[in-house]
Amino acid sequence: MSALQAELAHLLSHEARLLDESRFAEWIDLYTPDCLYWMPAWREDGTLTQDPDTELSMIFYRGRRNLEDRVKRLNSGHSVASNAMTRVTHMVTNVILDEDDNATARTRAAFLVNVYDARTSLTHNFFGSYRHAFRRDGEAWKISEKIIHLQNEVIPTMLDIYSI
Amino acid sequence: MTRFALKDLIDDRPEDGVFRINRAMFRDEELFNLEMRHIFEGGWVFVGLATQAENPHDYFTTFIGRVPVIVSRDGEGTLRCFVNACPHKGVRLVQKPCGSARMHVCPYHSWTFDSAGANRNIKWQKRGCYGAGFDQENHDLAAVAQFGEYRGFLFASLNADVPSLEDYLGEARALLDLVADKSPEGVELVPGRVRFTYRANWKMQLENCSDQYHFTSTHPSYIRILEQRAKEKSDDVVEASLGASDFWQEGAKGVTGGTFSFDHGHVLNWGAMGVSAASPDFERAEEIAGRLGEPRRNWIFNMRNLTIFPNLQIADNASSQMRVIRPLGPNLTEMQTWCIAPRGESAEARRFRIRQYEDFFNPTGMATPDDTVCYEEAQTGMAEQERGWLQGHARGFTATQDGGNPFSDMLGMTPARNVVADAQLCDESLFQSYYKAWAERMAEVVQ
Ligand code: FES
Ligand SMILES: [Fe+2]
Repeated sequence: MSALQAELAHLLSHEARLLDESRFAEWIDLYTPDCLYWMPAWREDGTLTQDPDTELSMIFYRGRRNLEDRVKRLNSGHSVASNAMTRVTHMVTNVILDEDDNATARTRAAFLVNVYDARTSLTHNFFGSYRHAFRRDGEAWKISEKIIHLQNEVIPTMLDIYSI
Repeated sequence: MTRFALKDLIDDRPEDGVFRINRAMFRDEELFNLEMRHIFEGGWVFVGLATQAENPHDYFTTFIGRVPVIVSRDGEGTLRCFVNACPHKGVRLVQKPCGSARMHVCPYHSWTFDSAGANRNIKWQKRGCYGAGFDQENHDLAAVAQFGEYRGFLFASLNADVPSLEDYLGEARALLDLVADKSPEGVELVPGRVRFTYRANWKMQLENCSDQYHFTSTHPSYIRILEQRAKEKSDDVVEASLGASDFWQEGAKGVTGGTFSFDHGHVLNWGAMGVSAASPDFERAEEIAGRLGEPRRNWIFNMRNLTIFPNLQIADNASSQMRVIRPLGPNLTEMQTWCIAPRGESAEARRFRIRQYEDFFNPTGMATPDDTVCYEEAQTGMAEQERGWLQGHARGFTATQDGGNPFSDMLGMTPARNVVADAQLCDESLFQSYYKAWAERMAEVVQ
């Protein structure tokens, strides 16, 4: 494994940890201001939507500002769906470094998020793959894209950004 | 006979100013099975849009109640609807949600059917030593008892003894027209279907779509974000159509909307919204007015939540959504949802519509999760208890008028009942229409 691959795999683990621990301000800090955050939807023919301008996504944001809004809602105390202290654990693995130069890099990885919903005492999971793009920011890397392919498409009641 | 008496489930005494629903309606397993048999499998239900099987031999699969069905366009271009189960041993013939095929071959013993549902081959039939009885049987796929289309909306019934589709939809057809007439080319589904389940009764979704009362209470976290976005006008975030209107706000003045109720359980709740650039339909405002006249055009820009009983909802508010309700159990419901859009709109309008949609309607968005969690919390409260009657179907009782009003007159439409509302009325009497239809369909088993 190259040093860069190890460094980016570590960053993915770090992102997962921040979500597991509800450290959303630090999580948002990992992203570039113009970041893409995208989870496509499934077409009825069993393929994922590919063009977010002509097809539906489950989540599509361009701009970190949208993630800030999501976090604001989570912390607002005014969303019954967000008040129930959902506990999550991310597993991120099979990290592959796809492309890199000095300034940018791309990875693919597999994820499994186990979710315990304290409101209902139910456990379920979400799984699929991540495609991240990174941009160098001084010594550090920032996430400029996160594309989430969620395999289990039927959402049990709800899914928020901390569960993927 | 069942153990249910109508008066224990629906307390309908207009002379005493009472309309109440019992919690048992939402939780009872036996009642649920009767609903499947008599409501979903006993009358008209929505199955899909004609555009979902656009070309000859295209098909899609769905369910009518518990029964799997295929909607298929045959080689001549005629849409047909069959039970998606092989006559041989009942195997579900087509497993895919959609596709295109001239022939469907059963995976179990290879009986083969064409896109018109006709049996085209029984493997090794001649050497099968079949008795005369078998030869006399029809081996085609079973066509549903009734199947019809209205403006591209497809409906089917497993029961032959139903009113014509035209009569079933009745005056609510004018409201489907408003959806279909957004474009001279009609409407289509944006690719990408979002499905979710919730652990509560299907009637929670039925009611919530027409529940104006919950909006400011359930969605303040979303509303605050809209308010902030309206102030900042950032290019990073999508402009919200609801942010550009005030019909839902506590302090809004005058008539802000209202409700219409129709025979057979269809309802609309609506809110006044202007012809605004915050709607993706704005680019067509002139064209629509020229084609349909200004009153209809203005109606197209109003917030409209339409339910065609029992399983179709079209919400035209934060964006435009088509929902299909599929009950799976008294405590479990599956929702299939799509963005429904006028054909031929500009790329920019389409993109705007999709962005508005995702944030509000998706179970991964900022509004719908707060609704569905409330359904589940309501389901918990539906447990059997001393005070069985709910108090949630009472608002608007004294505001309800028979027939139409100047707003429905604009559409040449005569509903059974209407309410004209200010911002704080939030009619609940329209739910009566659901339960009157419920009682009609269940009349055989619940008296
Ligand atoms: S079940 Fe279909 S061919 Fe036997
Ligand atoms: Fe809602």
